[in-house]
Amino acid sequence: MGIETIFTAAFLVPLLQTTLRSTTTLLLTALGGMFSERSGVVNIALEGMIIFGALTAAVSAQLMEAPYLAKDPGARIWWIPWVAVLLAMVVGAFIGWIHAVVSIKYKADQIISGTAINLLAAGLPSLVLVYFYDNTTASKEVVNRLPEWFGFSPLVYLAFALVPITWYVMFKTPWGLRLRSVGEHPEAADTMGINVFRTRYVAVILSGVLAGLAGAFLSIGVLNQFVRNMSAGQGFIALAALIFGKWHPIGVLGATLLFGFAKALAIQLGGKDIVPPTVIEAFPFILTMLVLAGFVGTSRAPKAIGKPYEK
Amino acid sequence: MNRIWLAFTSVIFLLLLAVSPWAVAIRAFGGKGVLVTLWGTVDLYGRAKVLPDVSWLGYFTAFWVALALAAAVATFLPEARTRARAFYVLGILGVAVFALEAYLFYHAVWAVNNAALAEGARRPPLKRYSLSLGAYASFLYSLFLLMIGRMQLPGGRALLVRWRGVVVPAVSMLLAMVAGAVVVWILKDVKMPEGSSTLDYYAAKLDLVTYTFQLLFGPLLTASGWFQSLLIATPLIFTGLAVAFGFQAGLFNIGAPGQLTIGAISAMLVGVHLANAHWFAGLPDPVARAIFLPLSILAAATGGAFWGAIPGWLKARYGAHEVINTIMMNYIAASIFLFMIASNEYTFFGKWTLHMPFKYPGYEGRSYEVAESARIPLMVNFFGFHQDPATGAWTGAFSWSMPLALAFMIAAYVLLRRLELGKRLLVAFGAAIAGYLVGSFLPGIPMELSPKLASVRLNGAFIIAVFAVAFYNYYMWRTRDGYELRAVGLAPKAAEYGGVSIAKKTILAMAISGALAGLAATHYVLGGGIDEYRLKQSLPTNVGFDGIAVALLGQNTPIGVFLSALLFGVLSTGGLQLDLQLGISRELVMMLQALIVLFIAAGGFLPRYFTDPILAAQAEEGAQGVI
Repeated sequence: MGIETIFTAAFLVPLLQTTLRSTTTLLLTALGGMFSERSGVVNIALEGMIIFGALTAAVSAQLMEAPYLAKDPGARIWWIPWVAVLLAMVVGAFIGWIHAVVSIKYKADQIISGTAINLLAAGLPSLVLVYFYDNTTASKEVVNRLPEWFGFSPLVYLAFALVPITWYVMFKTPWGLRLRSVGEHPEAADTMGINVFRTRYVAVILSGVLAGLAGAFLSIGVLNQFVRNMSAGQGFIALAALIFGKWHPIGVLGATLLFGFAKALAIQLGGKDIVPPTVIEAFPFILTMLVLAGFVGTSRAPKAIGKPYEK
Repeated sequence: MNRIWLAFTSVIFLLLLAVSPWAVAIRAFGGKGVLVTLWGTVDLYGRAKVLPDVSWLGYFTAFWVALALAAAVATFLPEARTRARAFYVLGILGVAVFALEAYLFYHAVWAVNNAALAEGARRPPLKRYSLSLGAYASFLYSLFLLMIGRMQLPGGRALLVRWRGVVVPAVSMLLAMVAGAVVVWILKDVKMPEGSSTLDYYAAKLDLVTYTFQLLFGPLLTASGWFQSLLIATPLIFTGLAVAFGFQAGLFNIGAPGQLTIGAISAMLVGVHLANAHWFAGLPDPVARAIFLPLSILAAATGGAFWGAIPGWLKARYGAHEVINTIMMNYIAASIFLFMIASNEYTFFGKWTLHMPFKYPGYEGRSYEVAESARIPLMVNFFGFHQDPATGAWTGAFSWSMPLALAFMIAAYVLLRRLELGKRLLVAFGAAIAGYLVGSFLPGIPMELSPKLASVRLNGAFIIAVFAVAFYNYYMWRTRDGYELRAVGLAPKAAEYGGVSIAKKTILAMAISGALAGLAATHYVLGGGIDEYRLKQSLPTNVGFDGIAVALLGQNTPIGVFLSALLFGVLSTGGLQLDLQLGISRELVMMLQALIVLFIAAGGFLPRYFTDPILAAQAEEGAQGVI
């Protein structure tokens, strides 16, 4: 097989579809992370939040549909995936709240607190899976997964629609201004009467909600079950995309599209002797490092990021 | 404040004493046992014929209630010194009575077993007997009384704050264990026999929770358990030290998995491809060993150091944050690893083909075997045991060389306290060699190892790990470089003003941190930590992340890192039993680790003067207004 196989519709159409799908998870997560980081809280726990969201969505959907399936094996109940998505968002919010309490109230090192949540996400799902399904690696398959509208899950459209919405909220509303000010100069924000702690709490919880949504997309949008370690580092990649995208919604969109494209390319090139997939997979990471070092444009973090606020 | 805490603890203690099983007389493999409680026995086992006589238990219950009441009265004594004395007496009394109870219980059990054996039974009827939560609670309560006593005296709280390096991890671990207990309580149900009461049910549940932790800490009781725990602890010591080293210099090295991977690849390149190269074929065995073993260990360290130095350099030169860079480098390392080990042929653009010699033929992704000359011997080899190739049995004479070398070294180091440090180390090293030589002349004790013990592949990498701990201690607290590193970590601006180059220190710290992480690869590749002397796709790079937990629990001190790595080793080993006996997934251990990290990050939810260095210093001084 030569290079010409790339330029055929049989290759390009699935490539585009896969790109959009793999971008969605990253985009949702990175936009969530943007709220948290813009408010001055590093959120390395995005990875764990995705996992918890995915777990919640798959398990809750499976449990809710079980009684219906017992009556009719092909039962289609439209509300089940949506309730599951909602629950995933609630659990994501809860995990975000934990991160917020530890790092805002107890002033822990935000990176350590996030790492702890990621470690938790590596262990706890197995216990839950054993409790419900008696195995440690995967949940039962969900029949009522998210529907597809014109070939894509509704969450794909939502993710891309969120880009202008976040931009508007972040840069055109008073709340967005307050959020950014808390991340840049919390002391000044505090003197202006902005509640630094509350703003940060809301921002971190919001990032948990979006990461949980991304997780739900993974488990009942792309797949139909929860598989252990199914996020495979996408939370970290989203974080990298956030930095690559300069903490700006449009930049984040570009960065996640690039990363999503690289991933899709690696998937689509598998088995074809063009470029080894492992090489393509490593490419976005190298690119991120170059961006961070300032070789490809500069990226400036919110000033107060990573520092607990002392009143 | 003390009164509230005492009242709270006393109530919890009495509740536990009343509800939980006090001991377990006999237990089946799956955990079902005959529970001895204060109100009678709860038989989940079902087939027990004889039980130990514990009719005395009621009197002791009266004693514990009286003790709690006396403690409550003691809080109202007017003078601090009298209060302290009263608590000390009560606490010591409690410990003594607990010891008496334990003695009586084991005595009763042995009496039953001996009687049965005397009558001709083939096995003792009571097995897996132990004290349980009720007894543990009374012991801990006594210790708590002693602590309350110390708190009555002036400087009591300052003492706690001074020991915050132990208090914060201990409290966090306790909280994590409570959370773990809750999870087990929820996850696992017990099947009760017909006609049992609610109280029985709670006792059975509490016994299940207790047994979970007994199993988790169980490896501490057997030799093979220790060996297995040390085996798991070895890579954790390396990665824990790596993370701790970064922390001391104010850097968070999440890149240990990547550094380990590159270290493993370098060790493989030297240990397999250089050591097996045809132009070294004529070397006699001892010479080849003297060249290639140190060289491959060095390669592991160098590979890790290189991979760590890159993010260090990027931070020093371009101000790029090391956390995100090390995470990226983890993925890049994983890609390189897969690229090398998954296939030997890659075709680019359908035209050019790249051939590589690294992958061993077959379905599984793994390298060729490490040359004999580059393999690290097993620990049992060091102790003078060898496997008989014909029978597979491990026989030999227990050699005194290693224990004596260690004893001589420690003795020399401790005794020569007055000597200058460099000389002291040199003499200690000499003493170790002397001890080794003396030991090799002494007659050994011939014995055969149990297959269980011999099957644990604890290898010489553990010794390297111990030396790494010593190096960390020496470098960080005894050299000028280490002092400067810590200064950069504590107050970068002040350090820079004092003439320290932050850029150089950052690169250096990341390189050494990476080298320590890379050395973990010696355990896996050169020491055969995962069954084979090769680089395998199943290389558990996750120990790099576990190193974060180890470093935090150990509070970045050398001895702390060693002990917490050992603790995690014990828990992981116990986790296997947990899976086998109770069907509780081993991931419980991972969850405990994560919770420990989370709680330590939150300072154990203790008051601020435990976690904030400035407040802590004031509290230690006993300054007014802090506490």
